[in-house]
Amino acid sequence: MSEDHEQLEADAIRTAMKSRLTRRGFLRTAGVGVAGGIALPSLLAACGGGGTSGKKVWDPAEIFSGQPGKTLNFANWPLYIDKARDKNGKVYYPSLTKFTDATGIAVNYTIPITDNPDFFAKIQPMLMPGKPTGYDIIVMSNGWEFWCLVQKEWVYPLDTSKRPTFDQNAADWAKDPQFDPGAQHSMAYQWGLTSICVNHDLISAPITKLDDLMDTEKLPSASVGMLKDDMPDFVMRNLGIDTVNSTPADWKEAAAWLMKQRESGVVRGYYSQGYTDEVTAGNLAVSMAWSGDIIYYAIWEGMSNLEMLMLDGGCVRWVDNMMIPAHAANPVGALELMDWYYRPDIATGLQEWVMYMSPVPATQDGFLADAKAAEAKGWKGYASKLYASAKSEYIFPSPEFLDQQVSWMRQLKTDDEKAEWDSIFEPVSR
Amino acid sequence: MATTTVPRTQADLPPIRHSAWGITARRRLAAYGLITPGVAWLMLFFLIPVLIMAMTSLKSGGVLEGYRFTWAWSNFPTAWAGKGHYFVRSLMYAFLTAAGTMTLAYPATYWIAFYGGRWKSTLLFLLLLPYFVSFMIRTVMWKFILADIGPVLGPLKDWHMLPSGFRILATPFAVVGGLIYNYLPYSALPLYVALERIDPAMIEAAKDLFANRTQAFLRVVLPLSLPGLFAATLLTFVPATGDYVEAEVLGSQNTYMIGNLIQDEFLKRGRYPIASALSIVLMLGMVVLTSIYARFLGTEDEVVAAAVTA
Repeated sequence: MSEDHEQLEADAIRTAMKSRLTRRGFLRTAGVGVAGGIALPSLLAACGGGGTSGKKVWDPAEIFSGQPGKTLNFANWPLYIDKARDKNGKVYYPSLTKFTDATGIAVNYTIPITDNPDFFAKIQPMLMPGKPTGYDIIVMSNGWEFWCLVQKEWVYPLDTSKRPTFDQNAADWAKDPQFDPGAQHSMAYQWGLTSICVNHDLISAPITKLDDLMDTEKLPSASVGMLKDDMPDFVMRNLGIDTVNSTPADWKEAAAWLMKQRESGVVRGYYSQGYTDEVTAGNLAVSMAWSGDIIYYAIWEGMSNLEMLMLDGGCVRWVDNMMIPAHAANPVGALELMDWYYRPDIATGLQEWVMYMSPVPATQDGFLADAKAAEAKGWKGYASKLYASAKSEYIFPSPEFLDQQVSWMRQLKTDDEKAEWDSIFEPVSR
Repeated sequence: MATTTVPRTQADLPPIRHSAWGITARRRLAAYGLITPGVAWLMLFFLIPVLIMAMTSLKSGGVLEGYRFTWAWSNFPTAWAGKGHYFVRSLMYAFLTAAGTMTLAYPATYWIAFYGGRWKSTLLFLLLLPYFVSFMIRTVMWKFILADIGPVLGPLKDWHMLPSGFRILATPFAVVGGLIYNYLPYSALPLYVALERIDPAMIEAAKDLFANRTQAFLRVVLPLSLPGLFAATLLTFVPATGDYVEAEVLGSQNTYMIGNLIQDEFLKRGRYPIASALSIVLMLGMVVLTSIYARFLGTEDEVVAAAVTA
């Protein structure tokens, strides 16, 4: 009875829906057409994107003319700046606070960089279409990403007449580094070595040569950490290969050693900055490490069980450089801050904290002077730390030490070289 | 009782106003108006990005040279050469995740749905409370909790209940455990919804028909909850296949998943064509797998479902 009414309504709806399907088909094609209309311009943009925007020729004199802005965005690595606590216990950065007091430019300091490829891939989508990255200073290690930034003109060339402190105090190599002739695009921030860190609480056997790093008798299983981006050059150096002029055949030799190491089961993981957490958590008995990180933990955090050491085959060096990304909001202020870090007192304060190596040779005297001052004040512990640091080969290496034991890393210069390098080394860490 | 005559034929009914479109034009317009926001959203945030990704997968070049659209079909074999085992590993981990979350969630939600009484909402809320904390924080906390000499393993090793070389982190167990933990709510909620809809009188009816408790469950409750199981599987299996966070935080190079590979290529190596090729094939693979699964288990006919599971 009432079912009939429902049945008839249902019939009516069914017929309507049948016809609706064909009209839905029409609208579907219309919808795709609309989507195509919206998509096509963006697709064309995506097609055309990626470096075809034409190489701009930046004019340093023009970029660095005028007054600096009021704020500065400084992107850096973790554990890479001097820190202190003020009266209220709040953490602040002395070198930046002094800069703000001297110039009136406020610095917004962030630590988004943990990995060169990671950070480069993060800013690449902004730099490709010529947009600002939001940073005025970034700190990049020499290598492939540095090379790309310079080649693609994604960093501003610096006005070399506007950095007097740098000209006065920088080391000779820093004024003309091999990866950036004339220091045209960058100014060194800190530099360091990649070598081996040992946790004496977790391992007692001596680690002296490269093959010790895959020795299953000396090392517990899954106790070794390797640094993904540094390990190819480190292994090549320890195999006696000239890293700077290495060929793909050399790369394959190093990759074979690394695969053997992976198969031995001693490797816990392939890291970048994250290795410090694993080392301090006691998950790694032996790890490739950046000199300053380990010395910082050993001296300033009291982790005396951690020791930085050198294998018989030597180690590799790198330089972290301050650069100004293209379309930065405050390049004039950025250059002023970069120059600020070349003042001997600021450079000493910075190096005393991060424990890496400074491009300002005068810091060694600065360490000794501070050590004497601390002794005079009765701060024996602090003074002895500073004396120890002033003598450490890992903080003030001698030229002979650098010549004999340390290599630069291989500079890749073309997309094809990079593709070949990656195809050889990526399978190791995956 | 009303004494209006009951309409018996089409002629008795008031005339249905057929416009040129069938049912009244206003109802049709309303229908389209309601789905427009959803369709527009999908077009803008799904369809167009997928098309852009498809176009990117056919480009060639590098960072220095720039990328150009060259119908580079070779990107697909290049991207996938030697990488099949990551996909298989991801499928395995995702399967374990789906199975693990359902094993944990089913009894809990069953209990809440049938025995929760007036505490149902509270209990469900308690089950989901940890997930109000950010996903990344919870995953990184597991790294802290499961550390080799951390708060759990440390004391156990001190009391010699575990060998000193024992570890959970950097193993597949940690990764799958992390996946199960993080995907539990995606399993629990659909299961709860499906189980809650089952009338307890059904179980009574089954018992009246001489079913014991096991049979009542297997032949009445389980088939009725199948839509929930299906939804739970989809919501855990598909995202877990592409997940990379647990493998990165809790795993090692031996737990490398296809999601890690894609993340690496996109966000670390910046090789967009390769990464796009990987993503497109992964998406197509998941669509195929899900379609097969849906055909097999996605039926709404509960009688058929009961026959399948019996």
